[in-house]
Amino acid sequence: MTETRVLGHSLPRMDAAGKVSGTAVYAADFSLPGMLYGALLRSREPHARLVRIDVSRAARIPGVRTVITALDVPDVRYGGAVKDETVFARDRVRFAGQPVAAVAATSLEIATEALAAIDVVYQALPPILDVAAALAPGAPLVHEDWTSYTALPILHRDGNVCNRARIVVGDVERGFEEADEIFEHRFTTASVHQGYTEPRAAVAQWDSSGQVTVWSNTQLPFEIQATLSEILQVSSSKVRVIVPGVGGGFGGKLRVGVEHFAALLARKTGRAVKVMTTTEDELRAAYARQPAIVELKTGVTRDGRITAREGRLWFDTGAFAGSGPGVASVATLMLAGPYRIPNLRLEGYAVYTNKTNFGSFRAPSGPQANFAVESQMDAIADALGIDPLDFRLKNIVREGEEGPTGQVLSAVGLEECLLKVADAIGWRDRRPAPGRGKGLACGWWTTTGGSSGVYVKVNPDGTVALNTGAAEIGTAALTGAAQVLAEDLGVRLADINVVSADTLSTPFDFGAQGSRTAFAVGNACRAAVAELKRQLFVLAAKQLGVDESALSLGEGCVIAAAEGKRATLAELARLSQASGGGLIAHGTFIAPPTAYDAKRVEGHVYPAFHSPSFHAHAVDLSVDAETGEITLHRYVVAQDVGFAMNPTYIEGQIEGGVAQGLGQALSEEIVYEEGRVLNANLTDYKMPTALDLPRIESILVQHPSLVGPYGAKGVGEPPNIEPPAVVANAVASAVGVRITSLPITAEKVALALGERAT
Amino acid sequence: MSMALTLTVNGETHQVLAEPHRTLLDVLRADLGLTGTKENCLEAECGVCTVLLDGLAVNACIVLAAQCRGRSIVTIEGLAAPGEMHALQQAFIDQGAVQCGYCIPGMILSAKAYLEENPEPTETEVREALAGNLCRCTGYQKIADAVMSAARAMRS
Repeated sequence: MTETRVLGHSLPRMDAAGKVSGTAVYAADFSLPGMLYGALLRSREPHARLVRIDVSRAARIPGVRTVITALDVPDVRYGGAVKDETVFARDRVRFAGQPVAAVAATSLEIATEALAAIDVVYQALPPILDVAAALAPGAPLVHEDWTSYTALPILHRDGNVCNRARIVVGDVERGFEEADEIFEHRFTTASVHQGYTEPRAAVAQWDSSGQVTVWSNTQLPFEIQATLSEILQVSSSKVRVIVPGVGGGFGGKLRVGVEHFAALLARKTGRAVKVMTTTEDELRAAYARQPAIVELKTGVTRDGRITAREGRLWFDTGAFAGSGPGVASVATLMLAGPYRIPNLRLEGYAVYTNKTNFGSFRAPSGPQANFAVESQMDAIADALGIDPLDFRLKNIVREGEEGPTGQVLSAVGLEECLLKVADAIGWRDRRPAPGRGKGLACGWWTTTGGSSGVYVKVNPDGTVALNTGAAEIGTAALTGAAQVLAEDLGVRLADINVVSADTLSTPFDFGAQGSRTAFAVGNACRAAVAELKRQLFVLAAKQLGVDESALSLGEGCVIAAAEGKRATLAELARLSQASGGGLIAHGTFIAPPTAYDAKRVEGHVYPAFHSPSFHAHAVDLSVDAETGEITLHRYVVAQDVGFAMNPTYIEGQIEGGVAQGLGQALSEEIVYEEGRVLNANLTDYKMPTALDLPRIESILVQHPSLVGPYGAKGVGEPPNIEPPAVVANAVASAVGVRITSLPITAEKVALALGERAT
Repeated sequence: MSMALTLTVNGETHQVLAEPHRTLLDVLRADLGLTGTKENCLEAECGVCTVLLDGLAVNACIVLAAQCRGRSIVTIEGLAAPGEMHALQQAFIDQGAVQCGYCIPGMILSAKAYLEENPEPTETEVREALAGNLCRCTGYQKIADAVMSAARAMRS
């Protein structure tokens, strides 16, 4: 491996000082003089006909500047894969929490007071509360007009199903015939919220030219620009989205959240308007993770070879499709798992119900599918009398083999991950004491594609500006990308300044999603340096009187080593400013398409994993036989990161991702009753605190990707995938009961122990 | 119905006019522009708005500004002299304990109050002291490491 000066080192992130001193500005902190405050009236009914809305009382309250409803905004249906959403409910509300009206007032207090003065008459309709009800014969349709909606032609839609994605490989029936034993299991998972500490927030202001500027904490400024252009019915050049700072996203800040309300209220009032979500709204009306039902049927030979798998996963996507059709697609790749299975029939469904539009949450579909697959792997191993580690090692994919859709896998570090994690947890002593057990689980994940552009400018003092359209959402991905830039350009990290995420002035970026930011922006930086090098060498060759081929970059200089001459980047930047408009380069990157067998997929919007990562987790825990309470002792992750760009922040991703995953595994659930959320506050929605988590040990495995910068793979999402499965497996190992629904609460464990005793 | 309040924030005296029901958080952010104190749940469940009130960590979202008359408030902006870093701030940077950073001001101030009380804590004690401050990015490990490391630095 090449020696690196900057990249691969645990340097402090570039924005740390501002964040610890309170000077970093987040969208929630952003304000403008004379700004109004917006508030949303949300439906209390999960499903109803909207008979009448009377805003006249609210509009008369002193300080209220406007009240808007569906009648005041363009009649537009928008959305990603399916255009099924409207800004406000029009004549029908489809979930409890759906916006019905919005108020702008001189204070948030007045705006909130005005909400109570809006009179709405609902005629309640029976709600569709879950997937089973939505799929029942003769079930009413959540969207009666679904056939008239614009949708991606590739989708397989049918009534309440807004997509069915499918992978078919080989012949599952024959595969089951070849099996000695067939195992069937059913799993369910609850909805969980991303839990970012900064609410979604946006400030919008229109100027006299008819351009609206929106300061928002979105992960995807360019997507928000496009969506706002659609909703506001103005050209995208009239929409400027700027991301000041983001207090966590985890997928929950991908889609339009409050930006459109801020922009519509600002247009109506001619004033800047700020809209921010409340915790209650976050838990009842945001883009939380889809609840899922998973059915798996797997055939194996007596010696532990998997011959066939049939799997179905149903996601409750809520009242709108949103991310659902895509997440259902990804789920099918996850149902195959990182295993070599010759015969597959896997289906992922996104199903409409009368709940909030569930969305993308860190490794969307990953934890739900992995919980099922990896729980079943252990159940099968136990039934066959094979060690679960050995059973996995027998079936995992290896270098050069095919993924489920025929992609050829390379840089497969899975065996190393499994062996290292097993060794670290002391696997051969799986049940060290009564009530104590160890579990392991493994998985794979993608590094999402999409393109990235950067401008890199060399300043006359030798510092370098990195201008990127990607937002820093907390992962330190832009520090990683800047480390790539510093490495290649031969400067220090301290010489680089980052300007980011302004749709007017920064180059396009597909956005901070899918574990792609450091990977894609890092590669765009490499391309920019290649171009800068060309510019620098032309200038330096002339300046130093040497041939361009004799030049190299290093120590903030262009160096002609043989001649013992050098010119500083500062010097060359000044020279360029005097003669050629300054040194600037545009670097771009798009991940090359991953080849797959199109005959194997249907209704699929994500048919292959780019630069896939592989990982294994292990936990050592105890279960209280009386109460069912789980105590975590140790947690170990071995993750193939390709190349560790900044080990400290990769560990940070692993520790944080595991923490979130353990929340889903053990305590987190958005609880619904008759279509309404019962626990829309942070006391009853139980995210892990510092006391609830063990130390999390990270082992970084490095099988370099052929595409990533210096071999790096995406690292942000994977740590969130395995925790539920690994906990379920360890509980089974500790006390012999298998919990098949998330979260694995003490109550469920105690009940299962009680049932077994009777 | 606003009332005149004299508040001492980060050692400076401020005169503000505020209605009696307004919270310290709102006055700090909106009237004094001290947005280093963060806003989220507004029900004392998440801890991002933690400030020091007479040296004790409180959730500014449920303290009325009027209750703070004649008392000393320290926000993250006032933890160290301008251009300097408190040992806790430096440790959070050095240990890689900062990701999105939104919980960090509150986390640091909770830690500050706790270390005044117990300068030689165990890691478990630190975790207990920070259990009222939610962080969704870090899994708390590097935060606990940072507080332990700052505690050592502050003792020496």
